[in-house]
Amino acid sequence: MKMENRKDSPEVVPIRSVDCDQILGVKKQSGSSFQMTTTGPNGNDLGTSIDLPDQNTTQSVSISIPQSPLDAKRVLFKDNTEAVWKDSPARNLKLGVTGCEIDEMGSEKTPERQTLPVKNPRMDAMKDNRYNSFKTWSGRLERQLSVLRGKSFPRNDPEINPPQNIQGESLSADRYFDALEGPELETLRPSEEIMLPEDKKWPFLLRYPISSFGICLGVSSQAILWKNASTSWTHFIHISLKVNYILWCISILLFAVVASTYLLKVIFYFEAVRREYYHPIRVNFFFAPWIALLFLAIGVPEDVHANLPHWLWYVLMTPILCLELKIYGQWMSGGQRRLSKVANPSNHLSVVGNFVGALLGASMGLKEGPIFFFAVGLAHYTVLFVTLYQRLPTNETLPKELHPVFFLFVAAPSVASMAWAKINGSFDYGARLAYFIALFLYFSLAVRVNFFRGFKFSLAWWAYTFPMTGAAIATIRYSSEVPNIVTKVLSLALATTATVTVTGLLITTIIHAFVLRDLFPNDIGIAISGQKPKAQRKWYRRNTCGSTKDIMHRVSSGEKIVEVPVISPGLGVKPFSMQVL
Amino acid sequence: MTTNVKQPPLPQIELTVTSTSIHSNDHTATDTLTIIKALFIPIITRCHAGYFRITLSLCCQTLLWKTLKDPPENAHAYRRILGLFPSTAFLLLWSLSLLILTTLSILYILRCALFSNMVKTEYLNHIGVNYLFAPWISWLLLLQTAPFLTPKTIYYLLLWCLFVVPIFVLDVKIYGQWFTKGKRILSTVANPASQLSAVGNFVGAQAAAQMGWKESAMVLFTVGMVHYMVVFVTLYQRLSGNTCLPTMLTPVMFLFIAAPSMASLAWDSICGTFDFSSKMLFYLSFFMFLSLVTRPNLFKNSMKKFNVVWWAYSYPLTVLALASAEYAQATKSSFAQLLMLLLSALSVMVSIVLMVYTALNTNTILPPDDACDPTIMPSDDACDPTIATLDPIS
Repeated sequence: MKMENRKDSPEVVPIRSVDCDQILGVKKQSGSSFQMTTTGPNGNDLGTSIDLPDQNTTQSVSISIPQSPLDAKRVLFKDNTEAVWKDSPARNLKLGVTGCEIDEMGSEKTPERQTLPVKNPRMDAMKDNRYNSFKTWSGRLERQLSVLRGKSFPRNDPEINPPQNIQGESLSADRYFDALEGPELETLRPSEEIMLPEDKKWPFLLRYPISSFGICLGVSSQAILWKNASTSWTHFIHISLKVNYILWCISILLFAVVASTYLLKVIFYFEAVRREYYHPIRVNFFFAPWIALLFLAIGVPEDVHANLPHWLWYVLMTPILCLELKIYGQWMSGGQRRLSKVANPSNHLSVVGNFVGALLGASMGLKEGPIFFFAVGLAHYTVLFVTLYQRLPTNETLPKELHPVFFLFVAAPSVASMAWAKINGSFDYGARLAYFIALFLYFSLAVRVNFFRGFKFSLAWWAYTFPMTGAAIATIRYSSEVPNIVTKVLSLALATTATVTVTGLLITTIIHAFVLRDLFPNDIGIAISGQKPKAQRKWYRRNTCGSTKDIMHRVSSGEKIVEVPVISPGLGVKPFSMQVL
Repeated sequence: MTTNVKQPPLPQIELTVTSTSIHSNDHTATDTLTIIKALFIPIITRCHAGYFRITLSLCCQTLLWKTLKDPPENAHAYRRILGLFPSTAFLLLWSLSLLILTTLSILYILRCALFSNMVKTEYLNHIGVNYLFAPWISWLLLLQTAPFLTPKTIYYLLLWCLFVVPIFVLDVKIYGQWFTKGKRILSTVANPASQLSAVGNFVGAQAAAQMGWKESAMVLFTVGMVHYMVVFVTLYQRLSGNTCLPTMLTPVMFLFIAAPSMASLAWDSICGTFDFSSKMLFYLSFFMFLSLVTRPNLFKNSMKKFNVVWWAYSYPLTVLALASAEYAQATKSSFAQLLMLLLSALSVMVSIVLMVYTALNTNTILPPDDACDPTIMPSDDACDPTIATLDPIS
């Protein structure tokens, strides 16, 4: 058996013996299967049995040791291990047990085997399987689809066992806070490791975050802005309804594209979607698709559909209600996701959906439903507002410096003011109260615009455009109620600012997407490991290794059990047994 | 040199036992007293303010039955069906509530008189202090449902004053402590039972509004509302310094439903109509109800053994049903009527089940060991890990 050491992948630690004092880190590539029975920290059997080849048969081996990030790496094997196996099983076993000999073997045998052939189809298959833990049903769906398509799939590969705990694991909020940092919890802390290869570009679907729905939010709110502008500004600027129509069509198209891509991600990489759901900041973006649909319904041009049916409102609000029950309930009672710890400006997305739904319902003519969502939104908005203003010391997700996420503060009051005005029929004192709060927050952030520089562009920035548009729409509504020169100028100014920002962001997005090609970087935030790497690349002296000579002796005499020490978290070094068949 | 110290003679005590004949009358008197003491003292020592949950629920149920059995003139068909409720059932329930409330009140007065240190312990406990409002709330609710007292009489007024003054005194004491006194800071002592003080204010406001005393009603309502908002925000934040609720007391979380509903009813009484604000408060309460019933796992651990805390399920549901009845009266839609029917049925069912359970388990309703009663002294290891506090420096 040959343990291949890929020099270009940093996470594979070369296998050396104890005397060299390095960790036995093993990285597996499927295709060749070297299976070892491991007893994890829980004491249960993790892997499957090892099949060591005889001299005639080619067998494959795979190791899966999932209990720690190091454990989550798999044994790296060359695909053409059969040839090596055929030579001398006993000798190869020795290779498997102690590290020094493996390396020696490697160097002695075939130096050229250090580099793997690039175009090997077996290699491609092995490479794909690194993402298996993130695929839906660990890649079985894909295999079935490939079989359906008639593509020949290597059948003699053993079933790749995904690490059990990754599939069913629910990562706690603490894990995300420990592993990630940054205003959007995007950057990995230096001490942490991720489960997927850092150097490779992951499959597109894995890199596609839910924050892409922010683009739909930004563009569809623009459609609403120009619809309101064309109806309210008739006396001083004439804006045709065609602008609204074009923008609305673009929004529909954009939403269809984004939604279908994300749907593909849900179908093929459900595990990644689940991890996004557990991410303290990304969870709020799960409201974004439904809010975008609500915006589309609000901004629908008159000639497409004058009066939307009532059932549409119920259909659109049901997912928001379910998500809310889950997330607000977590704030109130759910374990570690307490608001004093996880509150961050992105939580506004979970609250603003209520107000947008109330606005749509009231404009459709519904009475009680909009008030329900307005009440719920108002109560939870108060809680969130107070918590964010407090900037509690226990809060771990607040950005230390100003970041575009702060513009979300403006969103909720401006939409609430419009909703209240629609429910009551006129822009009365309650609506004005909310509107002035929104205006104050907007100016408070606008005078600090210098502090918003210096942030790396990310897709999530799109979510921050719709508050500016929302404030502009509310100002237009206010100026139609209180028509004087100040309000008119203000509405014009805010509308222009919003449009310019959206256009600028659109251009930046296109540049990043097609020219720089870094619009979708590797999504580190969802690939964090389940447990802290306790090993932390420390070296352990293990007395168990002293007994490896005995083990070797036993093996060469035909015994079945081999013990290889392995690092597992919390227990330091722990031997696990390989069952030799 | 040795000195022989002469030991003084040891003092001698002479005991003379005289047998006296004990009169038979004194014998029975002292025996009866002993028997009475042996019977009642254990009950009094164990009967803490948390037992008023029973009376809260019964009085609330009485109010619900009274409201439902007298539908107004322009009521919907469903409401009129409920009006066919037999009034004898209502009278029976009223009498039962009065009996139990009187008994418990007497027992608690005796407890204050004989074991004032226990009452003091309750007052100092951050959960127990809120249940000091419960007797007054129960009496106010019973007053509102009294079949022979109309709100405009002088007796009603006197009784109202009698019951609201202690509530107001407790308000001043407890709310004042929150923002002035050093040790009992709200961020550490806030727990779902704190909403009971707000409920007390709202009940007082509703009773006042029914009497026609709109200004006093507004005072009580405002005080209750402001402090309810503070408590609401604090509870939602679940600050890390906050002591957690013991597992046994998870049913107390149903108070999240009770407070907005009661506020909605109070505002309805003050304004005369079920307007926008009342509707919003009712909807908030309904959302809390949905939020809690979709989380059965939260209450799993507290339902293992019957406990008086189970009565904490009943009165929030009853208050919600009352608010839904007012809501259905204001909006004539069939969805509202259906909601009213469902919520009323649920609350009646829960109350009846609890009454039966309590009747069957009278021996366990007063636990033998007082020391481990969590409502008096919640211990840290009784804390549910799912709502445990986190070490902020981690």
